[in-house]
Amino acid sequence: MIRVFGYLAWRTAYNRTARQLRHLRSPRYVAALLFGIAYLWFMVVAQRPAPAAGELADTRWVELVGAIALLGAVAWGWIFGVERRVLTFTPAEVTFLFSGPVSRRGLIQFKLLRSQLFILFNAFLWTLILSRERFGVSPWLRVISIWVLLTTLSFHRLGASFVRTSLAEHGRLGLRHRVVSLVVLGGVLIAWTWSIAEALPHLADRSGDSPFAFLPALGEAGGQPLPAALTYPFRVMIRPLIANSVAAWANALWPALTLLVLHYIWVVRSDTAFEEAAAAVSLQKAQSLSGRAGRTNTSLAPARVTPPLLRLAPQGWPAGAILWKNLVAVTRTRRLRKAALALLGGGAIVAMLSFEPEGMLAEIAGWFAITWAAAMGVIGPQWVRNDLRSDLMKLDLLRSYPLRGWSVVIAEATASALLLTVIQLSLLLIAYLAFLGNDFMVPALRDRSLLLLAAFAFLPGVNLLGMLIQNGAALLYPAWVRLGSGRPGGVEALGQNLLMMVMFVALLLALMLLPVALGGGTFLLLRTALNYWAALPATVLTLATMAFEAALVVEWLGGVFERTDPATAGIGS
Amino acid sequence: MIEVEGLHKLYGDFPAVQGLSFRVGAGEVLGLVGPNGAGKTTTIRSIAGIIIPSGGQIRIAGHDLAKDPVGAKTELAFIPDEPHLFEYLTVEEHLRFVGRLYGVTDISARIPGLLEEMDLGDKRGALPGELSRGMKQKLAIACGLLHEPKALLLDEPLTGLDPVGIRRMKSTIMRRAAGGTAVILSSHLLHLVEEICTRLLVLQHGRVVAFGTMAEIIASRPGLRTRSLEDVFLALTGQEEATDA
Repeated sequence: MIRVFGYLAWRTAYNRTARQLRHLRSPRYVAALLFGIAYLWFMVVAQRPAPAAGELADTRWVELVGAIALLGAVAWGWIFGVERRVLTFTPAEVTFLFSGPVSRRGLIQFKLLRSQLFILFNAFLWTLILSRERFGVSPWLRVISIWVLLTTLSFHRLGASFVRTSLAEHGRLGLRHRVVSLVVLGGVLIAWTWSIAEALPHLADRSGDSPFAFLPALGEAGGQPLPAALTYPFRVMIRPLIANSVAAWANALWPALTLLVLHYIWVVRSDTAFEEAAAAVSLQKAQSLSGRAGRTNTSLAPARVTPPLLRLAPQGWPAGAILWKNLVAVTRTRRLRKAALALLGGGAIVAMLSFEPEGMLAEIAGWFAITWAAAMGVIGPQWVRNDLRSDLMKLDLLRSYPLRGWSVVIAEATASALLLTVIQLSLLLIAYLAFLGNDFMVPALRDRSLLLLAAFAFLPGVNLLGMLIQNGAALLYPAWVRLGSGRPGGVEALGQNLLMMVMFVALLLALMLLPVALGGGTFLLLRTALNYWAALPATVLTLATMAFEAALVVEWLGGVFERTDPATAGIGS
Repeated sequence: MIEVEGLHKLYGDFPAVQGLSFRVGAGEVLGLVGPNGAGKTTTIRSIAGIIIPSGGQIRIAGHDLAKDPVGAKTELAFIPDEPHLFEYLTVEEHLRFVGRLYGVTDISARIPGLLEEMDLGDKRGALPGELSRGMKQKLAIACGLLHEPKALLLDEPLTGLDPVGIRRMKSTIMRRAAGGTAVILSSHLLHLVEEICTRLLVLQHGRVVAFGTMAEIIASRPGLRTRSLEDVFLALTGQEEATDA
């Protein structure tokens, strides 16, 4: 049976790749490929200095930071729900495999086999990204190390998904089925809580001395027996990657492989939960993709229809309907409702805590919110996708509407830009509230208020330009850009996402260059005459330039939208 | 109402439609028939403004589709064989959404009647995920009819409908035609075509092999007299021998 699965996985991957490569007959795709190769060469290989002979990085920190990052990824999966992509079967696979003489265990092996192609691709990508880092051995051994790491992580997330599914679907019965996993999880949770409670006062003391004292303090805390035992599996996964000789690599690989095999056994033994979870996810996917299926699975469907926040007026700008539709769709996803509630509750709590004499918690929350707001500027445009990236699969429908291309493009991009802006401004507002009672902070409250005001003024424009880049990529390269509402998930996909993110930031910076230069120049010119009031014309000029650039991009992309043939672009029905 | 003049569509070197010309007047129902790959869907999607033709001219209610796409599309409705619906809009919200796109001002007054006609009255608050395949198709049809188009393009409109739904759909099409709408209907269901279409356009390899009323087509080929539409279709598309074999 494994040969049949191998055949299916291999031929699917081969044909998909061949189909994507066929698009290279179009000059637009050739240009993108050449640009991508040049970009990879410049960003990954040419720009970094080669490591000097005998010069090696201090791998202790790499191991510690890597272990913490892995811990975060695993914890995120357990707390917020894990990537279900691995579980998804195509409608054809459901038809042929679920009804065929294939065991549940066979199905799991098929899924694991298929996910390997994706993991291998990302292992090579990571090897390329880390090619000039000053640790580890040869690139080929590094590929193996990264493959072991990503596969173990993928198995862990899959196993965690089974446990969660079993509990969600079967309640107490599921509890009994997953008792071993839950006992282990509970023990780890208690141990972690204990370790963090022990280490927190020490870390707080040391971080007050200087920001650079925090990492050694974290290292010391991590070296204590209990935390060391808890981070051991994560360190085991990192060690082959940072081994400095072939012998050390071989020694480090065995424990990592053992961990991988243990995860494999855990996942394969979870066959009942797998079939339930996979069937549910596949059904949902099949319904959303083709609309052919009958009744939906109640546990995965939107629980109830909430009334829209905004009512759509019957008259007005026609494309406003698309903007409204995209915003309604977002407000009806459970994830956003939870996030909105968390932001509201969090904001109220940190505002109260900021007036406490020892407002350390508020301060931590404030910095956390600022960090996330900044991070959302870079990763947000890949996560927030309520725009053409979701709608382009329905290109037939969009094209049949009596709308000009530019109006579709602006409505679609505005929807996602608006959402991203609201998220970022909410986070910044939380940060503002968190530091509200802090009289010693630099910048002072008045300057912080001005910065917040500036964020309100500039973020919508910056995000609109960012979303136009993302939507432009989808329109220009529909065969290469992943379309649909789901974002590329999992640590396994991080290599791809990282490269896309850097390219996106470079394009956004290029677009921001002119507005910033004009605005900055105006401010410097008028500062002597107007003092700080010079910021006002500078802001207006910056925003006007951004609007002008956005208008040019929208006009161009509108033309592309009108010229895109769904059949030859490989999208639509 | 719908005028097609010298329509060409090439996919690479492959001609999907070649030199197609016809006209559908107000109140007419044109049946577009032909074997798989004959060019029916390409034709109907070109008229809907989804596909850009390689050559030729299309006019909808006097609007040139290439020069005034918004004006032309405002007058037409395209209902595909596969209903494309938005996952997070309810039945009623779909209609309000489409109403805004087409500038329907009395949307609230039109919705109840349309939902009743499509037998979706008790589903107005449901999301597409909660609807059966047939109900989704009915919703797509309701969205198409909402703005009372002058030209109606239907691609396999009965797919997924139950017998009651099929009967309602047929009467809906005929009622719209009687009201002055020009209808193009693409279908493999020859009995449907025979029942409701006033004229037929038979396509084969992207070319017209017959065009006119059933009587006109049979009159032009005396050998086909007394034979059923199915036999006529097979004879026109050269598939008679294949089925005999």
